Amino acid sequence: MEKNSLTPEESFDIINKAISNFKMNYKENAQVFLLWGWILTLASISNFIILKILSSWEAHELMAGKWELKGLYILGNWVVFCLIGFIILYFMVRKINKDKKVYSHIDKFIEYLWWVTAASFVIATIICFRMRIEPPVLMLLIAGIATTTTGLVIKFKPLIIGGILFFIFSIASTFVTNEYLALLVGAAIICGYLIPGYFLKAAKE
Amino acid sequence: MYTDLDPLLHSQLRLAIISMLVASDKVEFTHIQSETKAAAGNISIQIKNLEDAGYIKVEKTFKNNYPNTILSITDQGIKAFESYVSNLKKYINPRK
Repeated sequence: MEKNSLTPEESFDIINKAISNFKMNYKENAQVFLLWGWILTLASISNFIILKILSSWEAHELMAGKWELKGLYILGNWVVFCLIGFIILYFMVRKINKDKKVYSHIDKFIEYLWWVTAASFVIATIICFRMRIEPPVLMLLIAGIATTTTGLVIKFKPLIIGGILFFIFSIASTFVTNEYLALLVGAAIICGYLIPGYFLKAAKE
Repeated sequence: MYTDLDPLLHSQLRLAIISMLVASDKVEFTHIQSETKAAAGNISIQIKNLEDAGYIKVEKTFKNNYPNTILSITDQGIKAFESYVSNLKKYINPRK
């Protein structure tokens, strides 16, 4: 492949081909969405079970005067699941980068977006604990912003819908209390991460 | 002929390489090879020319214990590409 006397049309054709040959790797994004989808769904279910146990009569007697422990159990549950998620993510990203030959601007943008989102989750948790408000309202809102933006950038409808559903679940979470809030978070994650994740996995590049 | 066009970019292989780099943040040598179907030696020469002109940055790393070359476009390369495309438009649409 080498020709020096190109016509302008041929030049445009080369540029066009090189740019349009770039394909979005949906599979890589799918793996990450499925990982966090499953991790956070399990964390929500486990959170629901912990709250159910703590609301039993036996727990009432045992926990008398120690209700501050309830918040720690819930926080501990999420921290454990998130740590497991980050460990798996570390190995997953290593494997993805091993097979990767092109690092697109979109990949870089999405990577930065989700790191900032992860930092926002931590900050939101601190704010919620300090202000004594239920974390799901802010968490689902932040997840909605990142998911909708990712969907818009990679032009993938199920992810955009998933992101919008996060917004709806965020509003809905203000109407739900107690252990059922954990189930609502689980439902939001299934709709916002897991289902779009499987659509991404099935999508053609 | 086509005197306004940057001679460094007005070549099939170099233009293909620079276009791929404009579209991506970083591209591996092997990807360029598989997309252009050109010989590795020829690609290396063209990459060297582009690098010497300051249009691209070449990073030599290791991947799975094998040498790996990663390319990215520089700001100068982006400017050169943009001016090449705008000059190209004049030839296709001389009135504009």
